[in-house]
Amino acid sequence: MTTTTALTDTTDDIAARIPPKSRQLWRTLVGISALLLFTIATTIPAIGGINIDLASIVHNWHNGYSKMLQMLQPNFDFLPRTWRPMVETLQMALVGAAASAVVSISLTLWAAKPTNPDGLTRSIVRTMINVIRAVPDLVYATVLVAMVGVGALPGVLTLFLFNIGIVVKLVSEAIDSADHSYMEAGRAAGGTQTQINRSTALAQTWPLFANQWLYTLELNVRISAILGIVGAGGIGRLLDERRAFYAYSDVSIIILEILVVVIAIELLSNFIRKRLV
Amino acid sequence: MHTENQSPQTVNVAGSASWQVELDHVSVTYPNGTRALSDVSLRIEPGEMVSIIGLSGSGKSTLIRTINGLVAATQGVVTVGPHQVNALSGRALRDVRGQIGMIFQGFNLAERTDVLHNVLVGRFAHLPLWRTLLDLPTKHDRNIALGALDSVGILETVWTRAGALSGGQKQRVAIARALSQEPSVMLADEPVASLDPPTSHAVMGDLRRINQQYGLTVLINLHLIDLAKQYTTRLIGLRDGRLVYDGPVQNATDKDFEEVYGRPIQARDLLGN
Ligand SMILES: Nc1ncnc2c1ncn2[C@@H]1O[C@H](COP(=O)(O)OP(=O)(O)O)[C@@H](O)[C@H]1O
Ligand SMILES: [Mg+2]
Repeated sequence: MTTTTALTDTTDDIAARIPPKSRQLWRTLVGISALLLFTIATTIPAIGGINIDLASIVHNWHNGYSKMLQMLQPNFDFLPRTWRPMVETLQMALVGAAASAVVSISLTLWAAKPTNPDGLTRSIVRTMINVIRAVPDLVYATVLVAMVGVGALPGVLTLFLFNIGIVVKLVSEAIDSADHSYMEAGRAAGGTQTQINRSTALAQTWPLFANQWLYTLELNVRISAILGIVGAGGIGRLLDERRAFYAYSDVSIIILEILVVVIAIELLSNFIRKRLV
Repeated sequence: MHTENQSPQTVNVAGSASWQVELDHVSVTYPNGTRALSDVSLRIEPGEMVSIIGLSGSGKSTLIRTINGLVAATQGVVTVGPHQVNALSGRALRDVRGQIGMIFQGFNLAERTDVLHNVLVGRFAHLPLWRTLLDLPTKHDRNIALGALDSVGILETVWTRAGALSGGQKQRVAIARALSQEPSVMLADEPVASLDPPTSHAVMGDLRRINQQYGLTVLINLHLIDLAKQYTTRLIGLRDGRLVYDGPVQNATDKDFEEVYGRPIQARDLLGN
């Protein structure tokens, strides 16, 4: 048995009994230097690194300069010709986001542990999602243009796949890390997992979904603007066409327009997001 | 008034037979090796009002969860009414759970959903899947849910988001959810541990009324001695997963409580006032 002593008397004693704190500093330093060295090494062609020729910026300066000059004079007369492709881009973004939102609900609930305790189906869905995510969007677009032809359809399909990957992964991980005590009540009342998911889990996780859906809509507007470059419809196709004709004043008005639309969509989605919480 | 077009019916708890609960040499060892219950045997008659007391970690929650199979007994036999719970799984287990109401310390509500949908969770075992999927409960189920809410005096909260309620209201929603199961046994795991003293008495009063009015078997985990004495008739004491006391409340002395707790009674073992 120990007897109680005054706090001041035990100070020395406490200092002696504090367990040593493991020193992390040198490890951090080693880690950072290793990362730095590796990064530098990747730019040395002699050892297989990429060849970054900074000198070419100087050599080709005049080339870029004249184009810059043209781009600084956006051709506003070209605007009317951009409306239709821009509307097509927005349609692609919206349809892709909406279709993926619908499909993402059940896939997400299958991919999260609290809403799907069955390990087999869960890992099947998760593997599928990881595979979908592993392929870059421009690769989808290129392949799909080859498969279904030039136009908005391959663009929408690309966005759909891209969005599914994002929503299912992010929302299922958010569900994994949230508290779900209400599920025990559903289970105690004799409910199946499907019943619990439908009537309680869905309501609880709704804001997580809505947030990601809005985010994919934002991303889609940005991405669908460039998908056209590989033939997948929208404003990107027009941009690519004008670039091929060296009409840089047209290119710059298109870029300006994309900028304005992207910012507008982000403002809109921020506005909606605030109302959600 | 908001009640004009609603006709909540009386919850038909009295119509369902009250069940006995029997544990025969029940032990529970969790997958991580923790032995939470050791060789517990007890028998609770239909209509009894029993409190299970013990320190934190003594196995109260585990014991109450073996009764509806949320925790599986690793040894022994758990019998509830005509059913041997530890032998059931799947559909049969869910059906039995549908007849055992349960309330929790943390209320366990879906806080973003309205009160009505939370109470309808109690109808899961009675509803076909398609009705849940389409969110189309029958008028009968709806009326039972409304009646259950009315019986705990909070019908006016029916459209409120559960998360917006006070603690006492939340626990009443949870009681209504359990009542709408029209249960044959009611389990409560520390139902007042998150509530202030007046609300604690109100909720304990609700449970006692349910016991007396419907003759329902009620088991309550408690760590407060005075609440156990005031509201229940039989006391079961757990210590380190073993049953160390079982008898009528009025016979329990302070020495018995000290035996269960393994230490002198302290102020925090009492709700006070
Ligand atoms: N899911 C679990 N996995 C492992 N151990 C658990 C689990 N639940 C409870 N325990 C342990 O079992 C013992 C009894 O816990 P519990 O039944 O919750 O007691 P009480 O409700 O009286 O506080 C404790 O030692 C606790 O840590
Ligand atoms: Mg407990």
